[in-house]
Amino acid sequence: MNKLTLIAAVLSMAGLAGTAQADKLDDIISSGKLRCAVVLDFPPMGMRDANNQPIGFDVDYCKDLAAALGVTAEIVETPFPERIPALMSGRVDVGVASTSDTLERAKTVGFSIPYFAFEMAVTANNKTGITSYDGMKGYTVGAVAGTYEAIALEAQVKEWGEGNFRPYQTQADVFLALSQGQLDATVSTSTVAQANVQSGNFGDISVVGFAPFDTDYVALFAKRNEYGFLNYLNLFVNQQVRTGRYDELYEKWVGGEVPQLVVPNVYR
Amino acid sequence: MFDYTFQWKQALNRLPQMLDGALVTMEIAILSMIMGIALAIVLTLLRLSGSRPLIAIATTWVEVARNTPALFQIYMAHFGVASFGIHFSPFVSILIGITFNNAGYLAENFRGALKAIPDTQARAGRSLGLSELQSFRYIIMPQMLRISFLPMTNQMVWAILMTSLGVTVGMNTDLYGVTQDLNALTFRTFELFALAAVIFYLITKTITLGGRLIAARLFRY
Repeated sequence: MNKLTLIAAVLSMAGLAGTAQADKLDDIISSGKLRCAVVLDFPPMGMRDANNQPIGFDVDYCKDLAAALGVTAEIVETPFPERIPALMSGRVDVGVASTSDTLERAKTVGFSIPYFAFEMAVTANNKTGITSYDGMKGYTVGAVAGTYEAIALEAQVKEWGEGNFRPYQTQADVFLALSQGQLDATVSTSTVAQANVQSGNFGDISVVGFAPFDTDYVALFAKRNEYGFLNYLNLFVNQQVRTGRYDELYEKWVGGEVPQLVVPNVYR
Repeated sequence: MFDYTFQWKQALNRLPQMLDGALVTMEIAILSMIMGIALAIVLTLLRLSGSRPLIAIATTWVEVARNTPALFQIYMAHFGVASFGIHFSPFVSILIGITFNNAGYLAENFRGALKAIPDTQARAGRSLGLSELQSFRYIIMPQMLRISFLPMTNQMVWAILMTSLGVTVGMNTDLYGVTQDLNALTFRTFELFALAAVIFYLITKTITLGGRLIAARLFRY
């Protein structure tokens, strides 16, 4: 009898421990829902269509991930600065938000392997006569606060020792300031630059060249300790490329030469 | 489940940068208060002037300042005026926006204070040979500023907090802007903003307590 209760107790404890160990991946599968943090102010990665529905590369990528997991996708709009609070407070499961995978940030969140890569382009107000990246020296330049290009550009302006750097909250504000002449030039991802120049909403501006920053690899992110889930994300990114879906999405939303997601001469 | 490990040291390492930001925040708030008080006195005089167009100008100012979001006022001071080709730097834009807001609220405070001062005082001044402006300057205004002194410290606190809206017009040297930049760099959102909140709290608390001490010292009857 005593032995039996002991066995029962051990079994029930094991059962409890089993449920307590359910990780993020289990939680997502059992909840039937994948909540993605997506920035919807960042065309063509994330934006809204005429019916106010979220669309874009990141939105499709989230839907693909949800389909692979066999759950439904829920897009949670998060402006750039709110991505991490949304993750940490449990409002989202994963970030599909064009997030640069810097080492500094990786101390806080867990990154997958890169799922996209950006080249940075310089867009200038035509009145300024800026024709290249170095031509921005001494001018007032800006970018979206908290982005890879903003951090790099601010460091560059400090190095030049002349001119000003101004971060704005959204990509729309940056281009508004550029069209008004409050900014003389901006550095943004080439995809954003092309989309905004072609939209014609921002007057007399044009893309004048590339910024010589390192390629901006962006990754999916999840909580740092969710190895099971991060492992799944890595395989998912790999499969997207392997199956040709990455090329397909790139053609659909961006077009042109598909950026390589591998860095030569090193693993991962 | 909230399973986040706080790394306070990462935030504390950035404290010197944040304190530099706090200085800029105080600079904006103090300048905007000085100009706001001056403008509020002008608005009060306009309202007392008896001239319809002048009263209309002052009333419009106060109504817009008090009944639209401060964010809107600051945004207009940067992007709004720029569509007419007038460009202000982020610092000047936020200063104009907060000053506009301060002036509107303070003018309303002054109006309340004026109601607490009996009309007979101005008339007594006039009968002693002071001009209308002189009786305002020497008799009414000192009392008005005394009565509205504590509400003014409230507005000062509000001005400090409003500086955090500067990020919408490209500020990144004030306390909030610095914090946001550091957040983008490190993603230590909770630690950095908690630290910023403590700094904001200490500044505003110092202002309210300081205001009370000054009031107790200056306004003894």
